[in-house]
Amino acid sequence: MLDPRVWLLWAMTVLVTASSARNPLYAAVLLLVTMVVGTTCTVNGGRRAPLSPFHFAMIAIPLSALFNSLTGSFGDTVLFALPAWLPVVGGPVTLEAIVFGAVNGLALTVIFSSFAIFNAVTPIRDLIKLTPRAFHDAGIVLSIALTFIPQTTGSLQRIREAQAVRGHRVRGLRDWLPIVMPLLMSGLERSMGLAEAMVARGYGSVSDAAQPLRSQVLLALGLLLLLGGWLAYLFGSSWHLPAIGVMLLGTLLIGSVLWSAGRSVSHTTYRPRRWSYRDSAAVLGCALALTVALSQSEALYYSPYPRLSAPGFDPLIGLGLLGLVVPALVGMRRKEEGQL
Amino acid sequence: MTLERLLGGAIYFLTGAIGILAFIYPFFLPVAADGAGLFARSQQAPLLTAVLVGLSVLALTVELQGQAINAKTVAMLGVLVAVTSVLRFLEVAFPLPGGFSPVFAPIILAGYVFGGRFGYLMGTFSLLASALITGGVGPWLPYQMFTAGWVGLTAGWLKRIPGLAGRRSDDSLNLGIGTRALILLAVFGFFWGLLYGVIINVYFWPFATGPVDQTWAPGISLGETLGRYAVFYLVTSLAWDLFRAWGNVALILLLGAPMAKALTRFQRRFHFEVGSHA
Repeated sequence: MLDPRVWLLWAMTVLVTASSARNPLYAAVLLLVTMVVGTTCTVNGGRRAPLSPFHFAMIAIPLSALFNSLTGSFGDTVLFALPAWLPVVGGPVTLEAIVFGAVNGLALTVIFSSFAIFNAVTPIRDLIKLTPRAFHDAGIVLSIALTFIPQTTGSLQRIREAQAVRGHRVRGLRDWLPIVMPLLMSGLERSMGLAEAMVARGYGSVSDAAQPLRSQVLLALGLLLLLGGWLAYLFGSSWHLPAIGVMLLGTLLIGSVLWSAGRSVSHTTYRPRRWSYRDSAAVLGCALALTVALSQSEALYYSPYPRLSAPGFDPLIGLGLLGLVVPALVGMRRKEEGQL
Repeated sequence: MTLERLLGGAIYFLTGAIGILAFIYPFFLPVAADGAGLFARSQQAPLLTAVLVGLSVLALTVELQGQAINAKTVAMLGVLVAVTSVLRFLEVAFPLPGGFSPVFAPIILAGYVFGGRFGYLMGTFSLLASALITGGVGPWLPYQMFTAGWVGLTAGWLKRIPGLAGRRSDDSLNLGIGTRALILLAVFGFFWGLLYGVIINVYFWPFATGPVDQTWAPGISLGETLGRYAVFYLVTSLAWDLFRAWGNVALILLLGAPMAKALTRFQRRFHFEVGSHA
């Protein structure tokens, strides 16, 4: 199993690459990569998205093609025309608009698939462990919430059954009141007990101090630099590089506050996870794909307008994108080892 | 203390300004565009925006968390986030009409009763926790967290409006909120029901394709950009978002008074402390 940080990097790399890949051939390569990784690495019991990538594609691609063809009247190859007096959809329907819409749907499907895989392969506990130490309290809130969700779901079921026994039926919004209120009250009572248990175990006895003034000053200054740098980046074409420098300085100041806040929190892990060569291989694969995506962004782009033409394909770029399939290769390797 | 409050206010203002700029910067791109540089900027801008929004969320969260968060707040926040996440889970499991979502009413009520800071944290964590359990983690999540956080934060500000019924905190029997406050919260819920859609759309709108009168194009003026976005929103999103807006109104009017009463009662129980001199 790969490190959750590697999976996060993988999903972000697919996002960046798919965002710029409007060439249907490269988008198809990316879709193939996500299908292979999804088939190889996901296990039964992982968190599933409400819609599978296949079903998402079946909805997103035709819908995007339909929407774009009806609302975008560009392109030379006119298939038919809707009456011009029809609002929004009136005008010629072109082959180019259908293709462009379908390619957009394909790119969306790739992004959706990558995050569906990320959600399926990373356990929630591992995601919480990714929380920086500076957000120790936030991590605890999230842990409590995720721990209480099954209990709350159980409570909801019990309350519904108890109300049903009394003859209560949910027919409209008003009928939810006898269900929501006991759910809320029981949750709040539970939080009361939890808070008392936390205090009894010493929670907040050492870290209940307010944030030092220095941190607030650094945070405010960091945010000011970020905002100023961004405004300069957007409006001052000649201040491009200084603006990036100012934003980096702001990021550094905010980072220093997070680092200093995190130092005060001691964190121990029972049996820490070790970084393996598989993780390194997957990171290298992502780095390769990211380099290709950033350096060849114009080659990854394709426009069917004004007249539909065959999209170009550079095998070297295609090979670079295949770096994203590394998690599947190291996953297969692991399966073989497991069988031995 | 005054300096701390001033700095806290400055952090709120700056994160808010970055958040607002993150959502509306496409409207200024024509002004900022410099011909050949536009392609590169349109490629970098979404990534840069996501990073800046992420940093703003981190900065505001560390500021709010740094204000001596105690065990009671942590426990109640965790449990309320769990309740809201279950409601969102129901929304995913049994699709509701249009953009109707039962998540916003509890965030607004909690923000109103416990204050803006609690409301912001509840909005942010509710969206995060529910995304984790429903498999909804994606590039849209920082924007959803940021916007839901602001729903809770601004709900807390409503309590400062003078003359709202139900502010008689000294009256131990009066735990709920008055009719005027309830109506105000319903209007607030309607407003945010639409604004949430307006904001979430903006982050992808400049890169969407479609008819000329609905999509952004390099070189158009600010007025024309706003006009085109208004048409795009009216055509593609308004009907969807109206379900969310009216859903918020219905939930707040039907459940708001008893929920606010329950939350206020527990707020008093949580704030009950025996002094050391006793």
